[in-house]
Amino acid sequence: MFKFFSASNIYSFIQKLIKFINSIFFLILIIGLTFALVLSPPDYIQGDSVRIMYVHVPSAWLGLASFSVITLLSILNFIFKIKNFYFINKSIAPIGLLFTSLAIVTGSLWGQPTWGTWWAWDARLTSMLILMLFYVFYILSFKLINNEETTIKVSSIIAIVGSINIPIIKYSVDWWNTLHQPASIKISGSSSIHSAMLVPLLLMLLVFLLYAALIFLMKYKTEIIRIKKKNIKRI
Amino acid sequence: MIADFLSMNGYGLYVWASFSAVMISCAVVYFRTKKTLKKYEQEFLAELQALTLEEKSKVIENSKIAQQILATSTKSN
Repeated sequence: MFKFFSASNIYSFIQKLIKFINSIFFLILIIGLTFALVLSPPDYIQGDSVRIMYVHVPSAWLGLASFSVITLLSILNFIFKIKNFYFINKSIAPIGLLFTSLAIVTGSLWGQPTWGTWWAWDARLTSMLILMLFYVFYILSFKLINNEETTIKVSSIIAIVGSINIPIIKYSVDWWNTLHQPASIKISGSSSIHSAMLVPLLLMLLVFLLYAALIFLMKYKTEIIRIKKKNIKRI
Repeated sequence: MIADFLSMNGYGLYVWASFSAVMISCAVVYFRTKKTLKKYEQEFLAELQALTLEEKSKVIENSKIAQQILATSTKSN
């Protein structure tokens, strides 16, 4: 069982997974885009601008999910000192930053026709901007600190402090009066979104998940090679 | 019909700008990540080639990852 998790087995598994995702990605992307841009109906109030939801919502979900994973692994790394979690976090952080930035940009593009403004210092928008800043600080800790032990400590502290912002983002629309609408999709309880819009949204979420997995695997593979390169130098 | 599809009832600018921003950013990140990975693979191979024959065979014998990188580079060449 533990032999499966050896670096060489993980490396070989990553290579196979990258090939698999590459082979199915474009097909799922085309299906997702067809549903999002052609087959899904316009909203009765927002019209066709609702289609922005199909890129905005998955971006926001992935931005939040990435930071939650980073926090969890940082806590586990703090307790159990498993260095692999640090490399996983290092590979996830740029993906999280990308999707959080995209959620803010696409949200702004959706806000202009819907609310009449590109930006408002609203609780949801501001807390998302704070999340983006935490990602920036987290990534900067890798770039600016040379000592690996110090980097692990500093980045873990940033992740744990930043995690306070996650429930604030989630519940900001319930706690404060905001321009942003409340959640339409709930894991527990009934969702208020019609299946004609839910299906394209889930398809686009799958596309985003596959893309995130692909980038993560390539970045993690790069980290493994970087470590092996260091080991060669020791010979 | 194509003009209607592109205009999206007046929301075309916002919809296409959103989808384009996502597509372009994701494509840039994908190609940059791929380029970095290739760069590290090449550097790893170069350092492997710089070793003496004895050291090289020792590394290849002990590291399955080195074997796999070597195999991938031979295939792509």
